[in-house]
Amino acid sequence: MSYKNKNLEELKKKIDNVESRSLDSKLPKKEGGAGFGFKISTEIIAALIVGVGIGLIVDNYFNTKPIGLIIFFIFGALAGFLNVYRVMRRIEKQR
Amino acid sequence: MAAKGEKHSPLEQFEIVPISNIEIGSYNISFTNSSFAMLITVLLITMFLTLTVNTRSIIPSRLQLISELMYNFIAQLLTDTVGDNGKKYFPFVFTLFMFVLIGNMVGMIPYQFTFTSHIIVTFALASIVFIGVTILGFINHGIKFFTFFYIPGVPFYMHPLLIPIEVISYLSRPISLSVRLFANMLAGHTLLKVFAGFVVSMPFFTGVLPLTFIVALTGLEILIAFLQAYVFAILTCLYINDAYHLH
Repeated sequence: MSYKNKNLEELKKKIDNVESRSLDSKLPKKEGGAGFGFKISTEIIAALIVGVGIGLIVDNYFNTKPIGLIIFFIFGALAGFLNVYRVMRRIEKQR
Repeated sequence: MAAKGEKHSPLEQFEIVPISNIEIGSYNISFTNSSFAMLITVLLITMFLTLTVNTRSIIPSRLQLISELMYNFIAQLLTDTVGDNGKKYFPFVFTLFMFVLIGNMVGMIPYQFTFTSHIIVTFALASIVFIGVTILGFINHGIKFFTFFYIPGVPFYMHPLLIPIEVISYLSRPISLSVRLFANMLAGHTLLKVFAGFVVSMPFFTGVLPLTFIVALTGLEILIAFLQAYVFAILTCLYINDAYHLH
């Protein structure tokens, strides 16, 4: 009887061990510097693309050649920084 | 191919080659190597998931375990990020995840086309997510969804500046989502081909060096393939969450 219990306890210990290990490494947390930089740069570039796109459309529509582009480029850049801020906050929260 | 000569560009692998030409009206809807890769991907997913779960054994076989692991992975992701509301969107997120994951993996097979390395494919996927999430936001909140762009607790004179920024930030979502997946796959596969070129062109036995590097790089590339599918899925979950909880 005691022999059996001991075996079971050992098994439980083993299972706990495996479970805790698999929980630790479940999410791919290890990310190189390149991947991180990539994430940040896409956020800025995406916002800039949208800003410049809107600026060009506005210029085309209202015939205000450089002004719309300038204004929305700045808005796009600021939106890019906002995106980066949000991504960083999410990463910080995960830690 | 041999007649074309010795020019082998690292970007040649991304060329779209029609397998059978189909044209309806002025639209070219040819069945290309990209469509072929997608077809293989869908068939692989369907066959794998149906065949492995088919037995429904309580003590799962190894393959069944893989299927259940994938299921649990996405189910856990949804409950963690969206909460109880997320259960409804499991089929959608799971389909997206599997399509991107297996698509990336199919692309890792030599001579196989990687359809996720084309911006139009990833952008279409991201647009589906973006449009769907926007509609979802309007269904849940009606016209109040626009308060998503309104940040409370900011001086009133800042709003003319902040609201356009918020709108642009919102509109940039599908672009950042698609560009991330596309650029990762494009860069990885190009890098592999560039180093493969070094193997042939380097003198004597020094070609072994880039060859070993390719082996390591292939492993990294498989990790990236999984990571990008995961990122795509988790961002979809976060966007669905945003459609439920403004701010």
